[in-house]
Amino acid sequence: MMSSSFWAMGGYARYVWPCYAFACVVLAWNFWSAKRFRVAAQLRARRAAAMTMAAVGES
Amino acid sequence: MWTWFYKLASPPHVYGVAAALAPWALGAAALAMGYGLIAGLALAPPDYQQGEAVRMIYVHVPSAMLSLTVYTLMAAASAVALIWRIKVGHAVAAASAPIGASFTILALVTGSLWGRPMWGTYWAWDPRLTSELILLFLYAGVMSLRLAFEDPSRGDRAAALLAIVGVVNVPIVHFSVVWWNSLHQGATIVRLGAPKMPGSMLWPLLSMWLGFMLFFAAVLCIRLQGEVLNRERQSTWVREAVKS
Repeated sequence: MMSSSFWAMGGYARYVWPCYAFACVVLAWNFWSAKRFRVAAQLRARRAAAMTMAAVGES
Repeated sequence: MWTWFYKLASPPHVYGVAAALAPWALGAAALAMGYGLIAGLALAPPDYQQGEAVRMIYVHVPSAMLSLTVYTLMAAASAVALIWRIKVGHAVAAASAPIGASFTILALVTGSLWGRPMWGTYWAWDPRLTSELILLFLYAGVMSLRLAFEDPSRGDRAAALLAIVGVVNVPIVHFSVVWWNSLHQGATIVRLGAPKMPGSMLWPLLSMWLGFMLFFAAVLCIRLQGEVLNRERQSTWVREAVKS
């Protein structure tokens, strides 16, 4: 397939490429938000652990 | 078999398995999607009726299938959590919901983009489209209900009940094209008998579907780690895990 005709997608480029672009956005968002969620949970758990250790030290 | 089942109920075990599986699932997903993209966009032939527009199938069908699979998994995990009082079940359901909702949105948007050149409209109140939209509302309902209670365990139970009741919509989405007159085409792959597609189009589609499933597994593992940490924050094993 020639490069220009590949990008033209037989006249359906305005539908095909946004479809793939949106799929990329959804995949990237899923990966990024999952990572962010795990990092936030790790931070909260670390904070909780530090507070427990501090409480044990005080008593 | 029961030992394996009981191990699944153990949060530290699930946390460890999820941490180990995530990178492998992500790598395998990249390979499957890479092949599916190249084969689907460049190697597969255009459709004799739809021309090059058919290439949207390689994103639309895997995302639609995943939206149903994730909901079924979420309902099954909720049922396990309610019946056997396995808390990890609620964590799996909570981690699955946003992923499933995002793939339902992807299925609706890509279907809409495909519908415009084929049907002449971005949206029609067709049985398949409408039931898929209801699926999105169910995901939104499950996520909202979980957050609506001050006591997280009550939120978990309420969300689990809605997830289980809502699973009735999954066969409705799948069989809507058989039960009612629909603009949407009938089943191509998941049907009795052989798939209707030639191999040159079927293999890229199956590869993309596998890639999406593996990607879901990877993202679920990452989210599940976060869910387990949030729920087990006060446990000794979490203190040990976050220290290292």
